[in-house]
Amino acid sequence: MGKFALLLFFFGVSICLSQTRVSGMELSVPEEQTPEAKSDGENILPTVADIKMGEQEPLYVELETVLISDPIQPYNRAIFDFNDDTYRYVMKPISTGYKKAFPKKVRISIRNFFLNIKMPVRFVNCLLQGKIEGASTEMARFIINTTIGLGGLFDPAKSQFHLERQDEDFGQTLAKYKLKSGPYIEWPFLGPSTVRETIGYVGDTILNPVSFIVFIAGPLGAFGTNAFYQNNEISLDKGATYENITEPAIDPYIALQYAYIQYRHKKIKE
Amino acid sequence: MNYRKIRLITSIVLFLLVSVSASLQAVEPGKLIMDTIDKGILILKDPALKGEEKVQERRQKLWEEISPVFNFEEMSKRALGLYWKKCSPEEKKEFVELFTSILKDAYIGKTDTYSGEKIVLIKEKIESNYANVQTRFVTINGTEVLVGFCMMDTQEKWKVYDVVIEGVSMVNNYRNQFNSILVKSSYKELVQKIKEKKARG
Repeated sequence: MGKFALLLFFFGVSICLSQTRVSGMELSVPEEQTPEAKSDGENILPTVADIKMGEQEPLYVELETVLISDPIQPYNRAIFDFNDDTYRYVMKPISTGYKKAFPKKVRISIRNFFLNIKMPVRFVNCLLQGKIEGASTEMARFIINTTIGLGGLFDPAKSQFHLERQDEDFGQTLAKYKLKSGPYIEWPFLGPSTVRETIGYVGDTILNPVSFIVFIAGPLGAFGTNAFYQNNEISLDKGATYENITEPAIDPYIALQYAYIQYRHKKIKE
Repeated sequence: MNYRKIRLITSIVLFLLVSVSASLQAVEPGKLIMDTIDKGILILKDPALKGEEKVQERRQKLWEEISPVFNFEEMSKRALGLYWKKCSPEEKKEFVELFTSILKDAYIGKTDTYSGEKIVLIKEKIESNYANVQTRFVTINGTEVLVGFCMMDTQEKWKVYDVVIEGVSMVNNYRNQFNSILVKSSYKELVQKIKEKKARG
């Protein structure tokens, strides 16, 4: 298991490093559009080219255009369809039943419990990003929530002490160290990712104490625990978020991809 | 004599009042957003509009209250990107109508599940005729969602041309989708796809 993770890690790093040279050229916008945009006298829309040329950015182009490289789109689309069906026909019905069975307070406590255990992920990544204040906030939160918060079931650190959770993960750390995101990947069950985020996910999984369940209950037990946690998340907000992105879309695959990349981009910038 | 003087004064006062209220009408972007949200919430909370059979009536009232704040032509223009210029005036008109109805169908229904979310104004930033209003939506589960409204001054009125949720721009997201379709096929096919989506609801 450990060897496999390490192998995956190095495999990913080598892909990312080889990507750094080409990723800038891989625009999802067709090439013939860019010269046309330049020749256009009237400026209806800021184009990718305009922003990249480092012009003074007025308020209306505040959002950076993130270029998405997606060379394995046919594979990704197939996995997206699989994940979407899994959500619609398996996870959604289960979480709807679960939602009815357990009051919201219980489900929020379950979320709090998992998030509290996951503290080493945020703590270590705060340190790796040089966020000393963030790391000490995490430490304080962990101590408060584990004791007064009854083993993490409640979040008095936030409600009483106004200490916000520091959502730092390994993917963001790698981005801080200038690792390029690499191509977009859609993983079965796990959903949207990139090469960099996949390495980040492996790192976070190793740092997450919940993963130790694998030594007690085996891979199936670990998978089950994660499925339970995801089901809890879907019953709270995650399901609504997913539906809010994909339902209004003309092309749900692109909509989810774009939302994911933009959201991660924002997280990294924070 | 005296009567004329009074008339003169009253007309001056009236003129002043009118001009003051006219200048007040150009509401600040942040206030406009918050007022609109408040009005929307009042409709959602209205006991007379609660219940299954009132859904359509409530949605319609909400739409009438909220839609004037949006500049749907600008949104369509931005969502279509470079292809906008290639469209004929009729095509543009058709596209604006289609895109507006897609947005209406997609988002007005989301308000049905309103259950007391709180919305707070964080800050507003104004640069000549563009403005950005940052708000925070707090769900009943305690989850905080940052929602930004990009606005522009059109004919003395601030109107929204994009909504950015946690860094994800709604208009840019549609632009990406439209682009991916336009790259592979034609404008006609894009319109066809939007119509299919509309029919599906």
